[in-house]
Amino acid sequence: MKKTTFIEAITEALDEEMARDEKVFLIGEDIGIYGGVFKATKGLLDKYGAERVIDSPISEVYIAGGSVGAAMVGLRPVPEIQFADFITPSMDQIIQQMAKLRYRSGGQWTCPMTMRVCCGADIGGGLYHSQTNEQWFFSQPGLIVVMPSTPYDAKGLLKSAIRGDDPVIYFEHKRLYRWIKEEIPEDDFTVPIGKAALRKEGSDVTLVSYGLMYHRSMEAALALEKDGISAEVIDMRTILPWDREMILESVKKTSKAVLVQESSKTGGVMAEISATIMEEVFDYLDAPVTRVCGLDVPAVPFAPPMEHYFLPNAEKISKAVKKIIEY
Amino acid sequence: MPASKKKTVKSKTDQIGLPDETMLGLFSNLLKTRLLDERFRKLYRQGRFAGTYFSAVGQDASTVGPTYGLRDEDLIAPSHREIGASVTKGVPLDKIAGQIYARESSPDKGKSHPCHYGWKAKGVIAPSSTLAGQTVVGTGCAMGFQIQKKDNVVLAFFGEGATARGGWHEALNYAGIYKLPIVYICQNNLWAESVPASLAAAITDFSDRAKAYGFPGVTIDGNDVFITHKTAVEAIDRARKGDGPTLIECKTYRWYGHSEIDPADYRTSQELEDWKSRDPIKFAEKTLMDIGLLTTTKKEALVEQFNQEIDEAIDAVDKDKYADPEEAYNDVYSEQFPVRRVDW
Repeated sequence: MKKTTFIEAITEALDEEMARDEKVFLIGEDIGIYGGVFKATKGLLDKYGAERVIDSPISEVYIAGGSVGAAMVGLRPVPEIQFADFITPSMDQIIQQMAKLRYRSGGQWTCPMTMRVCCGADIGGGLYHSQTNEQWFFSQPGLIVVMPSTPYDAKGLLKSAIRGDDPVIYFEHKRLYRWIKEEIPEDDFTVPIGKAALRKEGSDVTLVSYGLMYHRSMEAALALEKDGISAEVIDMRTILPWDREMILESVKKTSKAVLVQESSKTGGVMAEISATIMEEVFDYLDAPVTRVCGLDVPAVPFAPPMEHYFLPNAEKISKAVKKIIEY
Repeated sequence: MPASKKKTVKSKTDQIGLPDETMLGLFSNLLKTRLLDERFRKLYRQGRFAGTYFSAVGQDASTVGPTYGLRDEDLIAPSHREIGASVTKGVPLDKIAGQIYARESSPDKGKSHPCHYGWKAKGVIAPSSTLAGQTVVGTGCAMGFQIQKKDNVVLAFFGEGATARGGWHEALNYAGIYKLPIVYICQNNLWAESVPASLAAAITDFSDRAKAYGFPGVTIDGNDVFITHKTAVEAIDRARKGDGPTLIECKTYRWYGHSEIDPADYRTSQELEDWKSRDPIKFAEKTLMDIGLLTTTKKEALVEQFNQEIDEAIDAVDKDKYADPEEAYNDVYSEQFPVRRVDW
């Protein structure tokens, strides 16, 4: 079987879902003629035409709100936000329309749309091309938030998102686009939303992460093996609603947790996971729940040494693990 | 691209040419809207429902006229002052009253806000409070109709103040490019809550904005229900045929405050009196009486009939209970993702 890159998996999912269901259409900046700035939509304009692969003007408010409207009248829009950094103009439409439409209409209207958002650092993007920003949407009930870390999950989660009846923010980490590849089945498959993946079993500590940080956590876990520390690695895959059962059960087993997130520490996803561990399985803990996160600064700085200083990596994660192992 | 054009339609002369039935229908809906609106104001002052109330009295012809004659499948993308569009679209009065009273039978089961009317069966979109928010969503609905090759249209309503919003411009820009089946209706009531139109834009006629988006803009007398209807019908036909959007600016005035808690002391009593002398109801009534379509007896019969319908609707929601507070957990996601209950 050939190996599929992360971005190829996304293109395949879009292609297959558009072929399967004529209600699926794409809208975004540079996604048609140009095939997307990262080429995620390459070839789809020729195949499906300009009515289903729409090169939008630079209008993030409309890309978001227009998609909500199209979803209301029976379509399944898959809008693209070129960089998570540029999602801010569309916040009103995402928060007030996309997330609340079902609620405010008493379920008369639903919003089956999947907003693809290219995110993430470690690519030299600087302040305005490196943000992840998933924490803004994590705190908005009504939205589904996913961030896959493997080509298999990228494809399967995107298909689930497009087929589902809820509004999904689908974060794709651009560092993974061409770095991560794997063999994936040729047959149609989906990955369920709301379920984490247990990537590695372990007994001494639970590492929880998602997106690029899953790979950094796995690197740390493999390095820790050599030091005789057995880390369990959980890849959340879906951030909202998150898989409480898997994470809490794992912490009950290992009694220690290190939570890793790329975005800034304060008010992030892992603050909530940490609080829930404390609330639900406090009696099982042998050490403080510990977070390894991006810095509490406005965004990821550009100069390479500063960018790397900002980001969690295997070394920082291993250090945190060793600290709580010795607690 | 269509050539941008702007024309000003004068009132009073252009209404001739509408069928009798249409003229009576317009008057009836206007009258029903007014009676319902004034009733809600009264009930609010009596403390009969929570929150506040956003009256549309004075500017009601600018929503009733354009909405009259639409199909059920055509959509209204409202803001919060479009009670006339809901009434004219045929939303049951107890559903409108339910929204005000926030009771269990309300379309949203009491979750959103008074005056945020939404009833899917009659094509009225439940709005958010962000002004011009539904202008963007409504434009997306029109895009959806176009992609699916349906000949439905969308009427998007907003005030002149909302045209300062970035999203409003993005939506109209997009609709112009793709000639979407939508009609934009600006209710220019001269005041965005307390801010005068002169501080909202450097132009006097807000229909001028259409020029930038490559479709026609027209400014009309928003207090003449026959003109608002005729102008909208022309624009709706254009939109339905695939010839693209129109921006219609209705010059009008709201008689009362932004909501019932606003004394509206930022404007002069002279200005208010001037506009009250141009009451849309009185104008329509006189027009119909002048041409012999309406008599005082007939009008009184309509008032009695509508008041009775309103009494029944209010009575029904008054007796209805609030939804169980646990209703708060419903309609967050599809059934696949139930919301976790709190422990205390």
